[in-house]
Amino acid sequence: MGMSNLQFLIIILLSPLLQGIIRKMKAYAQGRIGPGVLQPYWDLARLFRKDMVISEAASWIFHATPFIVFLSTMAASLMVPVTTPDAPVLAIGDIVALLYTLALGRFFLVLAGLDAGTAFGGEGSSREATVAILVEPMMMLAIFTAAVAGGSTKLSVISKSMHILDSPAHVLAFAAFFVALIADTGRIPVDNPDTHLELTMIHEGMVLEYSGRYLALLEWAHYMKQMLLFTIAIDLFFPYGIAGGALQSALFYAAKVLVLAAAVAATESSRAKLRFFQLPSLLGGAFVLSLLSLITFVMLGR
Amino acid sequence: MPLIKRWIEIFGAIDFISVGMLLSVVAMSSSKRIESCLKAYVINSWLLALLMAAFAVYLSIPHLYIAAFFTIAGKCVLIPYFLRKVIGELKVTREVEPYLSTPVSLIISFALVVLVYSFIAGGIFVAGAARNVLKISVSIILISLFTMMNRKKAVTQVMGLLFMENGLFLAGFSLTYGMPTIIELGVLFDMMMGVMILGVFLTQIKKSFVSVDLDKLTSLKG
Amino acid sequence: MCESDFYFFIHKEVFGTGILLLISLAFFISGAVFFTVAPKKASLHYCYVLYAAGAGLSAFSFAEALYGGGAPMAFTLQISPALSMGFRSGPLQDFFGLLLSVAAFAASVYSAGYMKNTPAPRFQGLFYGLFILSMGAVFISGDALSFLISWEAMSLVSYFLVVSDTENETSQNAGLTYATMTHIGTSFIIGAFMLAFSATGSLEFTGMAAGLAGKSMALKSAIFILAFIGFGMKAGIFPLHIWLPKAHPAAPSNVSALMSGVMIKAGIYGIMLMCLGVLGGPGAHYSTWWGVVILATGAVSSVMGVLYALMEQDLKRLLAYSSVENIGIILLGTGAAVVFYSFGQTALAGLALAAALYHTMNHAIFKSLLFLGSGSVMHGAHSKNLEEMGGLLKRMPYTGLFFLMGSVAICALPPFNGFVSEWLTFQALILGSSTPPAYTRVITLLGGAALALTGALAAAAFVKAFGVAFLGLPRSGKARQAKEAGFPMTAAMGFLAALCLLLGVAPGFLLRLISALPFEGLKEMGTAAPIHSPVIIAGGFTGFWPAAILVSMLLGLAIILALAGTLGRKRKITYADSWDCGIKALTPRMQYTATAFTKPLRVIFKTLYMPRKEVRISFKLKPLFVSGITYHSDITPFLENYLYRPFTAFVGKAAMKIRHLQSGKLPLYLGYIMLTLIGLLLAWA
Repeated sequence: MGMSNLQFLIIILLSPLLQGIIRKMKAYAQGRIGPGVLQPYWDLARLFRKDMVISEAASWIFHATPFIVFLSTMAASLMVPVTTPDAPVLAIGDIVALLYTLALGRFFLVLAGLDAGTAFGGEGSSREATVAILVEPMMMLAIFTAAVAGGSTKLSVISKSMHILDSPAHVLAFAAFFVALIADTGRIPVDNPDTHLELTMIHEGMVLEYSGRYLALLEWAHYMKQMLLFTIAIDLFFPYGIAGGALQSALFYAAKVLVLAAAVAATESSRAKLRFFQLPSLLGGAFVLSLLSLITFVMLGR
Repeated sequence: MPLIKRWIEIFGAIDFISVGMLLSVVAMSSSKRIESCLKAYVINSWLLALLMAAFAVYLSIPHLYIAAFFTIAGKCVLIPYFLRKVIGELKVTREVEPYLSTPVSLIISFALVVLVYSFIAGGIFVAGAARNVLKISVSIILISLFTMMNRKKAVTQVMGLLFMENGLFLAGFSLTYGMPTIIELGVLFDMMMGVMILGVFLTQIKKSFVSVDLDKLTSLKG
Repeated sequence: MCESDFYFFIHKEVFGTGILLLISLAFFISGAVFFTVAPKKASLHYCYVLYAAGAGLSAFSFAEALYGGGAPMAFTLQISPALSMGFRSGPLQDFFGLLLSVAAFAASVYSAGYMKNTPAPRFQGLFYGLFILSMGAVFISGDALSFLISWEAMSLVSYFLVVSDTENETSQNAGLTYATMTHIGTSFIIGAFMLAFSATGSLEFTGMAAGLAGKSMALKSAIFILAFIGFGMKAGIFPLHIWLPKAHPAAPSNVSALMSGVMIKAGIYGIMLMCLGVLGGPGAHYSTWWGVVILATGAVSSVMGVLYALMEQDLKRLLAYSSVENIGIILLGTGAAVVFYSFGQTALAGLALAAALYHTMNHAIFKSLLFLGSGSVMHGAHSKNLEEMGGLLKRMPYTGLFFLMGSVAICALPPFNGFVSEWLTFQALILGSSTPPAYTRVITLLGGAALALTGALAAAAFVKAFGVAFLGLPRSGKARQAKEAGFPMTAAMGFLAALCLLLGVAPGFLLRLISALPFEGLKEMGTAAPIHSPVIIAGGFTGFWPAAILVSMLLGLAIILALAGTLGRKRKITYADSWDCGIKALTPRMQYTATAFTKPLRVIFKTLYMPRKEVRISFKLKPLFVSGITYHSDITPFLENYLYRPFTAFVGKAAMKIRHLQSGKLPLYLGYIMLTLIGLLLAWA
């Protein structure tokens, strides 16, 4: 059990911190002081201590979903190199396996939204499924570009062979990936993570019926997924420095995560949330970007 | 036996018999009375059985005796008996009006035979005595088909079918030295079944259309 | 008796594992006979047990033949000295035979319980057996003649099963569409075989392959086009699929399982047989554009199939459209394989082909499972309309669980089997970037994009199907009183669901069998994949370890539960109403419906769907007092409107012209026959 086998713990344990940092950055950008960066940990701890209220209409899917979402995100985080490009834990999967493992969690989350039999849950599920349809393929295409360039779909191989945005195609692919990341983590302009206004929410709509420990698991999984996507972006597009010593690569990683977090916070603060039916033009545009990146790479080479 | 074989060769018995079959078909095609059609069929079948027996002697294929026996039992006795019964029930005695007159039918039959003789090289039969059998059998098939076209009453159509089957049987012989018994028996059995089904069918047509005139069937067209 | 007296019987001796197959055949025939002669209707389900036994036995024999790599089995029916029907099975045939046997086994077990609901159990039981037998005959036919006869038998028998609900007008119409389309398809297949025969003089597939090896590319391409259209019609590729969503739902569910699970695979089998066996084969010269055509068709079929599946409110039609999608995915792999073969990249071709074959087997398993599940739902809730269901998971727990497993598997989510094959397909398509010309690189990668889009759409479609049918509150009285299906039905579904998980966790089983197939490049796939260990492909391009995903999740679960048990006290759980904004009047009518669930997609893809809606308001006193508002919304079936309808109108007009040939007079018909005979005579002379 070297460093490479335990690096997934970074994602599990530090993901709430990343959420806290993004919130803090957002608060600065908006001229507020905002809660401390450790606040997500206190939130999770509070939720874990609470009792639960569960809908009478709900079936076992409702109970199973928090575990499946959490565990699938955890299994996905076993597949990424975080601070060392050596194959992480037993190399159980590549980037395709990773995305589909995440999709397993999403599948159950969307089901759970329908389970309580309310309009809000259904609305959240329907919208989440729609966003997923637009986001997943474009994320996949952006990843194809990096995979074809890196000569493998293994993240560890890609991250070893690339530096920073090695070709024009990579720039396009990263742009698309960034939009996908924003959409997939439920951030403005796609979704608003801070609202509980029923008519506009997507992610919050699906988890509306959850409380207590289940909610804590789901929130934590959501943080993990966010950090996981950050890490994938780093591995695919900015892997420079990952191959150094433990301390050096950890520092590089932290710096890159902070830059990305700042980018996300800046986007959130400078954009207004889009109307749901305006999303296709944003996401469709990003889809075309990712397609273009793939075609330019294949036609022009690096 | 060798003696009989020799005789068959000298007198061209096989050709003689098959020509007899051809003549009986022509007789059927020019006859208007159903009873005489039936008689022609019986004659035709006897000749077929005789031909089989001759083949059996000539080529020393013993199982053809069995086939000949069943031909007699089926085609000379059972089928005619059954058809007589059906005709009796239907009360059809004669074909009122074929589409073509007797002389024209005869001419066409003749033309068909010429056509066949000029186009079929003579079959693959080895023995010289039977080289014409294939031509004759194909002629029989075509003439019976023509007769079926030429007639309006469903009963005569059945007769045409029976003649055609005899022709096919003959063609089969001339090409294969006699088919395996099991197939011959099978075909014979099929024939019996066919005639029975057609009998029932005719009775039904009679019931539904009050006549066995096939022109009435056009009303079934959609 | 001389030897010739046995013409009607099996002529050459049976060898290999053929004897087991014959025993299984005996089971089937005895089952079929009992269906016709069994004295009491109550005892009819034993006949399905006979079928199940036969199918299990044949599954064993096919797997044994593939696994052991023993001698292929062969026997010949000698019909006449000149005419024989050859049945011989090589590994490709064994593979499809195995697929048929597995699905047939589950469907037969299921039928033993399901048959109580069918209107004509004797008829359906008999034809059900014949259906399985004819599909088996298709898969092991060794020459074009026996293939065509079995193929027609399969089509006819399935047609009768489609129309077996004689009261129902839609199923009669569906049967008509099906019969028409399938015969058009068959005529293309006959054309392909005739071309091949005229060029090689052989009806046997092996002879054809040998004879075609040196022939011109134009001839081979013509055969390819004919075969691809003909077999594609049966497989349900996109523009030719319209019979599929009509016919499959019309049949009883145990039959639809076999139709969607196995029969459309006969089309895939035909395409593989013709493209890779007869036209291709080791060292043969392939045209790149064949592969591109197959790949493009696959991409379009998969996306369009699932887009239409999304819009369906009828559970069985949804499943049928999803079959179009999955056929598309299989063709993506097959097409990529042909492209790779044409460049001599056999290892990559092996990967693509393994992906296609794996998905073929997978789809047979989970689509059968889902159709059987839909049968149980119809049996329990007496409806196949999703809008009348809801909350079935609590009322039908086993059916729900197995249906969920099937849905997860078909959405290609780990750790189920669909994921393994889609993962392999993805890798093959990404590796298309290593082909020499730029256009194949772009096209294979676009195929990958289509697959990614398909995956997301399929997930939405099956979330809708499962979520609306099984979760939430019951939307009708029928759903409220739904009952779980009986034992043999749930057992059959459980068997298939277990297979989904098994093939998803231990892909080595199936990859080992696939590696026995006689195509170049497959060997590498098989040897690299012992059971339970990671799948590593293409010399380490990538790899994954499906079992580890499941194990890590289970370990994680154990850790979470242990932590929760030691750290925290037990929390109280209160069961209460769902959140209803305080109205206190939440009714099932307020839930999202299946239509509402996909509404955003109807808006986004409106150029494709051309949604129509109609609002009718009736008044008591216009315009003040409204007595009722009806809202109707549907999508325009543009293929039917813009492609098929003009075509059928044209055919109808032409038929009216040709109709004059049909006088209805018997003598005229006899005249036609006579003219043909004389024509033949002239041609012969």
